Amino acid sequence: MKIDLKNISLSLDGKQLLDQVSLSVGRGDFLLVRGPSGSGKTSFLRLINRLNEPTSGEIIVDGKSIADHSVTALRRQIAYLQQTPVTLDSSVRENLLLGFGFRAAEKSIPGDDALNAMLRDFLLTDVTLRDDASNLSVGQKQRLALIRILLTKPSALLCDEPTSALDPDSRRVVEHKLESLNQDGMTIVCVTHLDYTPEKITPRRFTLEGGQLTENQR
Amino acid sequence: MVLDIGPIQLALCLVFILVAGTGSVLLKLGLERDLAWGTFRTFAQLAILGYVLKFIFDISQAWLVLLLFAFMVFWAAHAIRGRVKEDTIPIFIPTYISMVSSFTLVSILVTSTIVQVKPWYTPQYFIPLGGMIIGNSMNAITISLDRIFNELRGQRDRIELSLSLGATYQEATTSILRDTIKAGMIPSINSMMTVGLVSIPGMMTGQILAGSDPIIAIKYQIVVMLMLVASAAIGSMLVVHVIRRRCFTRAHQMIV
Repeated sequence: MKIDLKNISLSLDGKQLLDQVSLSVGRGDFLLVRGPSGSGKTSFLRLINRLNEPTSGEIIVDGKSIADHSVTALRRQIAYLQQTPVTLDSSVRENLLLGFGFRAAEKSIPGDDALNAMLRDFLLTDVTLRDDASNLSVGQKQRLALIRILLTKPSALLCDEPTSALDPDSRRVVEHKLESLNQDGMTIVCVTHLDYTPEKITPRRFTLEGGQLTENQR
Repeated sequence: MVLDIGPIQLALCLVFILVAGTGSVLLKLGLERDLAWGTFRTFAQLAILGYVLKFIFDISQAWLVLLLFAFMVFWAAHAIRGRVKEDTIPIFIPTYISMVSSFTLVSILVTSTIVQVKPWYTPQYFIPLGGMIIGNSMNAITISLDRIFNELRGQRDRIELSLSLGATYQEATTSILRDTIKAGMIPSINSMMTVGLVSIPGMMTGQILAGSDPIIAIKYQIVVMLMLVASAAIGSMLVVHVIRRRCFTRAHQMIV
């Protein structure tokens, strides 16, 4: 999945968050974007998931304007992991399968074995599918939210601070998982304020500040 | 035979306001001005209504009846806009159009098919029955609209979670829609449960005072109760669907 941002500007509530930002994300790229809080990192990801519309400029996905793609199919292809993990007041199973309840979803729903395997992969060994998801810790919810997205098999993943609430062990597991997914061809754009040096891959590093997105020297 | 109320007796009613006003002065409630203004408006508004109704009853033309009906709905939609206090999404026009279309249909159905008055627009039936529909549904719609804006804003994260997973805005707000329509209908359903036990409904009281047989008055009241539930349901459903659509862009982005 190739994503091009052409002269994107975004103003929200009178504040200019992005100013003529251009960026080309190739298939299988791993982007790390850092920046001070309030610099527009979240809005930048929301634009690519089309939860927001830019004030001006154009986003091209696979050679076609983002507006020419079916928005529901596009959001499944370029998935967005929210900064604050959101859970429904229901079981872990229902939360994990949320993405399969919509018309745009694939018809084959993962079984309990596949779900349990994912929970184990992310060190959620003490969580069962029947547990009430609202009782999980923030760190557990953060991993549950990531699993929920991965089950829908997106081509690209936009992560907003995916490890901010995790202990060091869980953090390493999530980072390694993201790197493995990238090695398997998934495009990843990761916004974080934490120091993160991937071990398995070499990311493209960016800084977002004052509305400008700058690529740092490798 | 209805006993008329003479002007002197009518003026005697002001004693009630004097009693309330004295209470307000003694207890320093500060309601004297409101009481005086309210009394004046009651006399003025009802006097105007009386003459308008007399005029329309005399002429008895379908277009005039429907025009008055549309005018009544206009003020109801205006009152809803005032009570819901929504700044981001314009609610007046969609609310008005939804109310006019659904309430006209329900009122015509009641007068033509259930009461079987000929012609269906006979003003002494159409206007009071339609008026009750408007008044009752106005509360239902206000509750539903108030609720939908609160729920959409309060559950923004959950809605956007569903949207980001590929849901349409309809799919992302199914449970909110259901809850808001339910909330609007509950008062009408509750009044069906208590009618005749807690109070004698206003219309039935009026008919009995006007010398009607209580059995006929009861039949009318049953029609009214069921008609009110139906119109509250149809009105809320229609308005909430239309307004929900306006809270999202064509690209299923939340704009409230």
